[in-house]
Amino acid sequence: MRWRALAPALLLLAAPAAAQENRDLDLIPNAVQAAPPPPAEDKPQTSDGGQRIYLENAASLASRRAMLVPLPPPATPDWEERLFLDMRKDWQLAPKLSLAYSGRLNFRAEDTLAFPSHENVRHDFRELYASWEPAERVWLDVGRINLKSGVAAGLNPTDFFKTRAVVEPLSADPAVLREDRLGAFMLRGQRLFEGGALTAAVAPKLDDPGPIYTNLNLPTLRPMFDRTNSHDRVLLKASADLGADVNPELLYYREGSASRFGANLTRSVGQKTVLYGEWAGGRQSSLIDQALAYGRETGTIPGFAPSVLPESTHQGFQNQLALGASYTTESKVTFNLEYHYSEAAFSPQDWRNWFRVGEANTGRPPITSALWYIRNYALDQQQKLSRHETFLRADWNDAFVPHLEITGFVSTDLHDGSSLVQMTADYDLSNQWSVGALAAGALGAKRSSNGSLPQSGSLLLKLERFF
Amino acid sequence: MRPALALAAFILAAAALAGAAQAQTAQEIIAATDKVRNPGEPFRSTDTLVEYVAGKERDRDAVVVFAKLDPKTGQFRNLVRYAEPPRDAGKMVLLDGRNLWFYDPASKASVRISPQQRLIGQASIADILSVNLAVDFAGTIVATETIQDAARQDKECWHLDMKASNDQATYNRVEFWIEHGTYYPIKAKFYSDSGRLLKILYYRGFAERLGGVRPTEAIIIDAVDTSLVTSLTFGDYRAQEIPEAWFQRDFLPRLGSQ
Repeated sequence: MRWRALAPALLLLAAPAAAQENRDLDLIPNAVQAAPPPPAEDKPQTSDGGQRIYLENAASLASRRAMLVPLPPPATPDWEERLFLDMRKDWQLAPKLSLAYSGRLNFRAEDTLAFPSHENVRHDFRELYASWEPAERVWLDVGRINLKSGVAAGLNPTDFFKTRAVVEPLSADPAVLREDRLGAFMLRGQRLFEGGALTAAVAPKLDDPGPIYTNLNLPTLRPMFDRTNSHDRVLLKASADLGADVNPELLYYREGSASRFGANLTRSVGQKTVLYGEWAGGRQSSLIDQALAYGRETGTIPGFAPSVLPESTHQGFQNQLALGASYTTESKVTFNLEYHYSEAAFSPQDWRNWFRVGEANTGRPPITSALWYIRNYALDQQQKLSRHETFLRADWNDAFVPHLEITGFVSTDLHDGSSLVQMTADYDLSNQWSVGALAAGALGAKRSSNGSLPQSGSLLLKLERFF
Repeated sequence: MRPALALAAFILAAAALAGAAQAQTAQEIIAATDKVRNPGEPFRSTDTLVEYVAGKERDRDAVVVFAKLDPKTGQFRNLVRYAEPPRDAGKMVLLDGRNLWFYDPASKASVRISPQQRLIGQASIADILSVNLAVDFAGTIVATETIQDAARQDKECWHLDMKASNDQATYNRVEFWIEHGTYYPIKAKFYSDSGRLLKILYYRGFAERLGGVRPTEAIIIDAVDTSLVTSLTFGDYRAQEIPEAWFQRDFLPRLGSQ
């Protein structure tokens, strides 16, 4: 009796619920409703993803500040105009054999550069290598290869092949710095197992170490093996899935007669967080000693010149560490917060020495040149200048409107509180066109690592066309 | 027939029907519709995503998906290769339980991502994946409802309310409408952790693919901004042997040549 009484009531309740559900169909546009069903032979006409070609125009302006320690020539440009064609393409030559090329053809002009000159046209020859799979899940690669290691976002201690590889970056964001860097000529072998991998790479010396390049002496076509193959280098990497979300990667790196070791570890926590750590260590001298030794070796600093900062021939075990976490919100913002430790970098006493010597010798270019050379060396090596830093990066997809991506980072020197700050906005107008803007600033007191940089800020506008 | 006998027959028939309905638990219904959506063998497909803004086509993306069931977990593992748009071509994603990695050939960097990052993008990785929902969700039958499918045809459906049963589930809660008898997925609604309705999804274009009748298209309505609608077409299904060794980050740079 009760059931008979309830049944009409349930039907009455369900009917409006179904009607409510059916209203969702009104949200489907006619263009979608009217689209024909997929054909039986549904082979979409798509590319295989084996290439990315784009043309970019980037114009930038920079503002300079008064400096405590004057910068030797050449001066950093006040404005710069870059038009480049960037290409990455893979060719499948045979079922188990492929060829890969990656490079960038630049047309550039800036206020410190003569026009026209051969410096206006440059080619960055990033990669050209052949890959062969002689057996199942065994690969041999030979050629110029960009070999990247590491799991952190702001500093990669285990990315041993990063040194001297970045050419004329348009952004200081570490994620972008990796996009236009030169590979090293090497033979690489890789074997994948179920839940593990072994990689070995041998990069021979092909050229002597060369002086650090400035924006005025970059070659037009020369592949610059002096940057990437100036020593015999070996890298061994092994990773294994140990279960329970433990999948470490261990690395051994040898450059000349010096060895370094490294490790990468990541762990996912809950739905939104990833923890990660990256460490490398080995016997080496301090950053100051490395820089001055390199300057003398390449003839930039006269061998007979006295040291501008206290030097030591002592080589100790130096650690470099990046510890961090990423967190993604429901509103599509991903934050990376990291702590960076570089034992070989400047101590607070080194910074005090750098400013004391610089301010006392502002009229003596050989000394100020040597001081700035140390900092340029760190930049060229993609090494940190200060021992303790924090790095906070935020990446917001579909910010405010779909297809707008806003990215920003703050890298802070924990010794003096100065920071590098950068904000980028990229908007995809269509599948082919994008526009973007980038604003960067070096903030801090005059006697701070970032506040003493020659450029206080910069602004870049860009337009991209993808093919 | 006497009235008493007729009544007894009616009661017996009703009891039998009720028993049959009881035997069909929510998890069994979800598992049955999983079999409709996902082929029973390792496969690859090429999925095309067409994004509409206010009714006009704006973007067209394409991804190649490699999927294989993990016998240990009963869940699919996926490898995704972006083919289009040109700016994203060659990017790869590994999705294996909690082991999620994104690889960008421009920077040569592999970055570990969180489950939440699967939801970034209007039609996110989460929509492309092959997933056995019965593994990640615990469902209850709310009601039997007759709702209209994407072609505005009435379909008698189980209305299921599904809650995430582990922290690998892409969404916190899903409402699902599954057609009686065929187990065809008709409609789904996806909710965030905070209970916010994120997406409404309709399946359509049921056709024979890899040994079963499966939906070949999903229409995804952005419930937060309803002017955004994406058509996701599952195409070019092919059975393919996928070695276990592929499901690790070191393989991602090699996926492009497969």
